[in-house]
Amino acid sequence: MTRSVSYLRRTIQVLSFCFLLYLILQTAFPLELKIPVDLYLRLDPFIAIISIFAQKEIIWRMLPAFGVLLLVVIFGNFFCGWFCPMGAIIDFFDRVLFREKKRSKPFDDRSLRRLRYGVFIFALTAGVMAFQVMYLLDPISLLTRTMVIAFYPPAIYVYNHLLPQIENILPRSPVILSSIPMPLFKVNLFIFLFFIATLALGVIRKRFWCRYLCPLGTLLSLCSRVRILRRFVTDGCTHCQKCVRECPAGAIPGETPEQCRQPDCISCFRCIECPPKATSFHFGSPRWKTADGVNLSRRYALGSFAFGVAASLVIKANPLQSESGLKNNRLIRPPGSLPEERFVSVCTGCGECLKVCPNNALQSTFLEAGLAGLYTPRLVPRIGYCEEFCNFCGRVCPTEAIRPLAIEEKRLIQVGVAHIDKTRCIAWDTDKICLVCNEQCSYQAIIGDDKKRPIIKEEKCTGCGICENKCPVDGESAIIVYASGVQKKLKPEPNNNHG
Amino acid sequence: MDQSSGKKITRRQFIKGAAVAAAVPLLSDRLPFYGSLAHAAQESDLVIAKTGSPTQLLQAAMAPLGGMSRFVKKGQRVVIKANIAWARTPEQACTNNPELMMALIKMCYDAGAKRVAIWDHTCDNYQFAFSRSGLKEAGQKAGADVLSGHGRNVYKQVDIPKAKKLKTAEVLRDVLESDVFINFPLPKQHFATDLTLGMKNLMGILWDMEQLHKIDLHQCIADINTLRKPDLVVVDAIRILTTNGPKGPGKTEDPVEVVASTDIVAVDAYAAAYFKNPKTGKLYKPEEVRFVKYGYDHGLGEIDLSKVRIKKVSAT
Repeated sequence: MTRSVSYLRRTIQVLSFCFLLYLILQTAFPLELKIPVDLYLRLDPFIAIISIFAQKEIIWRMLPAFGVLLLVVIFGNFFCGWFCPMGAIIDFFDRVLFREKKRSKPFDDRSLRRLRYGVFIFALTAGVMAFQVMYLLDPISLLTRTMVIAFYPPAIYVYNHLLPQIENILPRSPVILSSIPMPLFKVNLFIFLFFIATLALGVIRKRFWCRYLCPLGTLLSLCSRVRILRRFVTDGCTHCQKCVRECPAGAIPGETPEQCRQPDCISCFRCIECPPKATSFHFGSPRWKTADGVNLSRRYALGSFAFGVAASLVIKANPLQSESGLKNNRLIRPPGSLPEERFVSVCTGCGECLKVCPNNALQSTFLEAGLAGLYTPRLVPRIGYCEEFCNFCGRVCPTEAIRPLAIEEKRLIQVGVAHIDKTRCIAWDTDKICLVCNEQCSYQAIIGDDKKRPIIKEEKCTGCGICENKCPVDGESAIIVYASGVQKKLKPEPNNNHG
Repeated sequence: MDQSSGKKITRRQFIKGAAVAAAVPLLSDRLPFYGSLAHAAQESDLVIAKTGSPTQLLQAAMAPLGGMSRFVKKGQRVVIKANIAWARTPEQACTNNPELMMALIKMCYDAGAKRVAIWDHTCDNYQFAFSRSGLKEAGQKAGADVLSGHGRNVYKQVDIPKAKKLKTAEVLRDVLESDVFINFPLPKQHFATDLTLGMKNLMGILWDMEQLHKIDLHQCIADINTLRKPDLVVVDAIRILTTNGPKGPGKTEDPVEVVASTDIVAVDAYAAAYFKNPKTGKLYKPEEVRFVKYGYDHGLGEIDLSKVRIKKVSAT
């Protein structure tokens, strides 16, 4: 029976991870899944708390996360060990690659265990002060982002190369399958390396990331202090140290296995596999004091706090974030985005919008938006343009950094304005007929003059970038969209809506 | 001699056959009971069917050409190049009429086609274009494969020997390899090339459409048309777009016509006259649309409509 709990947990972990992958794959046209595709992010209390602080209003989509928090208060931290897809993949790699060697001395991790609380205080402080680099550490956001940016494009690459074989297997002949245009993301290498690094930390200790860094885990640990479902050890304990060795969270101290560090326990129930059968879990009154709790000195807590404050102030002084006029006018945010300063503080960089964008138009920033805007989405028209009848990015954004807009409203949002480089434009520079931009423009914002040269009508241009995207000039386009500062709503025109 | 008598036609047989073949169409007009045979022979080169539902129009337009069985034989693979380029609704007349497309597919299957594929390399995102135009649903309902050329693997690099400027291009493999190729255009006003007609519809079989603008758009359009002459052209002129083309939305007109022919230049020469030339204030003459002129120069068909046997029929 005790073994079966362990199998059950592993099965649920695998299913949870596969479900996340399924949801990510479903984050695409036509987006008709009944379950929200960003379900995992919506269930993430760490993101919920910080984004609601930064947004300064309630984000209804994020409310389910507080349900998770409530369950954790009752049942303890069951999320990390059972459902967290990041925990699942870390467990998998720990099992496959990093078998822990038998140690002569128990691993003293008191200073390390303090680290997560330091990181957490830092993250919370900075987050509340609207500096969101710590979203990068949130496991759900981290995993979705990594899957979308670092692993999805190679998967498409493999699929496209296997297509001839797939076509042969399929019964109906001749079946013709178009290869899928490969999504491109410029920052994929950084994100890939960061992810590999978090997995590689397992060399030092099993679940290193989960135990010592993960801010979501820390939040859930703190909440599970008052848990009601608790571990009990009878006098039958023989100090065989099996549970100490097996505990993936290192929550059982070697000297006193009767006790455990309750916040660290992830309710994996592996310690029930106890040779003298001395360990059991059942409901009991909450106990605030636990064995060998983390010794957070006042100095340490204050230090983390001050570091968070200082870091966010330094970030805010970045010219890209301030009013200094050094704004990056090629930094076009998706339609419906919050104003830049709030956008970077609410966006978790989870990459859902990058995945759902049908034209691969949304790209992850690196430093174009300053450090605070790391891995936030931007529209890069030369790679892809904003599709006229698409509002997917707003619909999948868990924190509503990109507001969900109705199609008709989204079609009127001006994210930027196109400008023509007449020295490079085929029609202006030569006597050839081109007007691709006019032909492609969905909003009739580009007209041709009597010599069939394009002219832009700014009052109609939404900055969708289809002109920049399709411009046949080699390399940089001859028609370029520049961000229009704050996004504004254009006047609806009868001709724009239908006709 | 023994060998040849089994397989080859003797002179006598040939003369007999030729005489019958010549006599049947001559007699058919006078002898009404030969009416069914008239389908097998062709009465005209270009048929315009007016007034009626899309299905009726298509049937009326095809009958004088000899019916679909003249073009599609049993077990053949048919490729239809439709216009699904834009994410517009059917009423906006930027994409084909779904009902007409369904009728066309059904007609191909009735003639014994093994498989009908609808192709287009869309300009807007293919998913949005296919769903908003209603053509994917319509095509699949009629049993066809509705396919998009968004992946480069479905193209083949070929030389265009007769081309003047576009010497080589990546062209949809299926178009080149299919048994029957049907061009299914929709006439629209077009700011860059004045009009988009049957010949221009063929741009959608290319991988790199934008490249053409850099070379010489009109000449390139004529050049691609030398690659594979369509076995049949069916023009969807039930509703046409007269302003803001090709993407629209713009003003539309309802000629409620379906034009069928084997001659792409004649079709375009006829369809050009749906539109008024803003420069002259009169209807477009075929020579005024440069790609049609270049197509004629290539010997793709007849631009002078007085030399084409035109038949106008009413579908109802």
